[in-house]
Amino acid sequence: MSDAKASPGVSLTRSQTEQMIAHCEAGRPNEACGLLAAKDGDIVKVFPMRNVSASPVRYELDPTEQFAVYKALEENDWELGGVFHSHTRTAAYPSPTDIRLASEDVPYLIVSLAEQPPAIRAFRIVKASWADTTGTVEEIPVVVVG
Amino acid sequence: MAVEVRIPTVLRKFTEGRSSVELEPGTLADLIEQLESQYPGLRGQLRDDSGQLHRFVNVYVNDEDARYLDKLETKVSEGDAVSLLPSVAGGS
Repeated sequence: MSDAKASPGVSLTRSQTEQMIAHCEAGRPNEACGLLAAKDGDIVKVFPMRNVSASPVRYELDPTEQFAVYKALEENDWELGGVFHSHTRTAAYPSPTDIRLASEDVPYLIVSLAEQPPAIRAFRIVKASWADTTGTVEEIPVVVVG
Repeated sequence: MAVEVRIPTVLRKFTEGRSSVELEPGTLADLIEQLESQYPGLRGQLRDDSGQLHRFVNVYVNDEDARYLDKLETKVSEGDAVSLLPSVAGGS
């Protein structure tokens, strides 16, 4: 993930942010997670997904569900636009666990339910390799349109 | 007809940007060796120090998770598709 480009930010519609927040609220007390599809850089779809860790402090996508979403991306000529998950009791900032386990070279969006209204922030977690346990965090702007 | 291996975005820096690679049939371990010979460095992204698949990679042969098949000894035949997926996880 050392090739991370300077990102112009993540552009979401209000409806998409509401969908992410609703999924995160529904997942309480556990963390919730999902994926975002993009087309030409714009987020076009939110995929709310199951947290197989079923934990208030951990999340992990169900690999089978993830595989199905990746196939949908390919079939629709979309790209992976981001990964999102909730922090139920902490700020919307990548934790050491988030950094250690980051694997995709896309924006990681964090929805903090510790703030009201919930806060959504986006970051690139830049690592030399997906096997690395450390990396640097770069915040990128979240732009809500429409 | 060869085996198609689909490469996730995060590993395409090893494959000169290719999203898929065609390889000869064999076991998954054989395919990883073929990948390594064509694109040095990929083996270390897929197997850990003990030789097992890294915990942060999920490998699908067609629609089956290789962990529930024969792991690295899973046989891959002509016309099959292998997908490499990064495990997506984290926590607060």
